[in-house]
Amino acid sequence: MNQQLRRVAYRTGMFFVSIALVAVLWELYKVVGPEKGGKLFGVAILPRANDTAMPHLWEMLSRYAQPEMRSPNSNPIWFVVFKGAFYSFRLALVGFFLGSTIGVALAALMTRFKTMERGLLPYLVISQTVPLIALAPLVVSWGGKLHIFGFTWPRWLSASVLGAFLAFFPIAVGTLRGLKSAPAASLELMDSYAASWKQTLVKLRFPAAIPYMVPAFKLGASGSVIGVVVAEISTGLKGGIGRLIIEYARQATGDPAKVFTAVFGAAGLGLAMAGLVALADVLLMRNRPKETTT
Amino acid sequence: MSAVHVAGVSKIFNQGTPKQVDALVDVNLTVEPGEFVSLIGPSGCGKSTLLRLIANLLEPTTGEVTVNSKTAAQSRLDQDYGMAFQQAGLFDWRSVAKNIELPLELKGWDKEKRAARAQEMLELVKLPEFADLMPWQLSGGMQQRIAIARALAAHPPLLLMDEPFGALDEMTREYMQGELLRICAETKTTVVFVTHSIPEAVYLSNRVVVMSPRPGRITDVINVNLGETRSEDTRAAENFFSGITSVREALRGTHADHANAGAIRGVEDR
Ligand SMILES: Nc1ncnc2c1ncn2[C@@H]1O[C@H](COP(=O)(O)OP(=O)(O)OP(=O)(O)O)[C@@H](O)[C@H]1O
Ligand SMILES: [Mg+2]
Repeated sequence: MNQQLRRVAYRTGMFFVSIALVAVLWELYKVVGPEKGGKLFGVAILPRANDTAMPHLWEMLSRYAQPEMRSPNSNPIWFVVFKGAFYSFRLALVGFFLGSTIGVALAALMTRFKTMERGLLPYLVISQTVPLIALAPLVVSWGGKLHIFGFTWPRWLSASVLGAFLAFFPIAVGTLRGLKSAPAASLELMDSYAASWKQTLVKLRFPAAIPYMVPAFKLGASGSVIGVVVAEISTGLKGGIGRLIIEYARQATGDPAKVFTAVFGAAGLGLAMAGLVALADVLLMRNRPKETTT
Repeated sequence: MSAVHVAGVSKIFNQGTPKQVDALVDVNLTVEPGEFVSLIGPSGCGKSTLLRLIANLLEPTTGEVTVNSKTAAQSRLDQDYGMAFQQAGLFDWRSVAKNIELPLELKGWDKEKRAARAQEMLELVKLPEFADLMPWQLSGGMQQRIAIARALAAHPPLLLMDEPFGALDEMTREYMQGELLRICAETKTTVVFVTHSIPEAVYLSNRVVVMSPRPGRITDVINVNLGETRSEDTRAAENFFSGITSVREALRGTHADHANAGAIRGVEDR
């Protein structure tokens, strides 16, 4: 446990060090980089170092304290960004739970029936090649047509569904690998106790799968965030961080620091989701031998 | 009523394919209650297969296996036996006590009863203060003792063991042999024990079953008479050595049809 705490502390430290490093690089580039952008070997790849394209870090930070718009009763931008990020966080959470449920259920099903695995897995792989941008309007229109037992599809649910669409795949594949990782000798032991398939699943396969499931869930968590933000942007859903990003990007010429406040908000959202899974990781793996922790 | 009755059993893997293996052919074996029987023989002679047939983890191709006068399938459902393998195979995510409780949990015992039994088993294997540790915090020998405690937790009348001490060092191994004899005497458990070691088979058993490969079969059964109570002195006793000699000769016999009669692959002479 002590060792685990130290590792968490170390990782947190490294996280802040790497952020500081990026900040230093940013400001350094502003000093040495070309004002109007530049070409490298004839290709325009060097970004412009002027204050419109790359505002100073302190401008971005101080922008958080200022009101969102010029009107006198406008909220400070940190509040608006936080609200937007929290809204998207809830959508991503719904998508993550939806995706995990479907992913884990699919993995269990594929473990139980070999034919399922052979028949289903190729389709799951193909499903991930469909571009999200193309899928988003489709899901919205399908959802709009759905009316069952007085249930009307809220617009935000489409964003969650797209989050789930990106989340379920790594979770299904990782969980499947994990469920199959139970050693043959342990499976034989459960057989010798005449344990049912469900008992074996609950008492052996799932616990054995945890070390495989944790990294899969981390991927799934960031997938759900990406799915939700992209869905917000491409369907124009109001209230979330995705919408703020496009709105602020339009104002970038007059207020260049503004869009970065929203971009950082989206990054914070991803971190919050990953942190949730990391917390579960620490709790679930606290009694495991050190070598198997990821 | 015999503890284990194997009648005319053969086991053929991948029958009718080029990969066909005659793992066991016409095996007959009866084990009486309270008896300690070892299976010994070169690698691939079907020892583990025979044990798995008794455990109903495999179905025989022909013949019949009965355990406690029931079909092998029924006695597996009734958890009439406990099993231990070369690897302790404890679950990493369960504490020592929870590992021992596993078969009881599957049987649907309630919590207090399980905890009481786990403590009783820990005392039996002389590790009472280790209940709350995790398996990976124990030495290999301790893990193996926990595996034996788990196998005996439901008080099964029969214990099936497949090279349970094969991965232990010589000192620990001899200690564990003594402990196993004590535990089985205390609990009056019948044991079928697979081993590669001649001295281990002789020290532990009432009878040593000698097997030979291709096809796997029983070639000899040797009665050992070392008395009810064995101690470290037994390992220096005259009849211990004579037992070892007879088993070794029986094993040589299994290779009489080979050019090099001295080569007994897979059987350790220690
Ligand atoms: N599931 C299986 N499928 C096919 N062949 C098998 C299977 N299990 C065992 N065999 C074959 O049956 C024969 C006997 O195997 P078994 O494991 O019983 O030998 P063993 O006496 O326990 O050997 P060892 O001392 O090395 O453990 C071997 O030739 C083995 O290859
Ligand atoms: Mg074997």
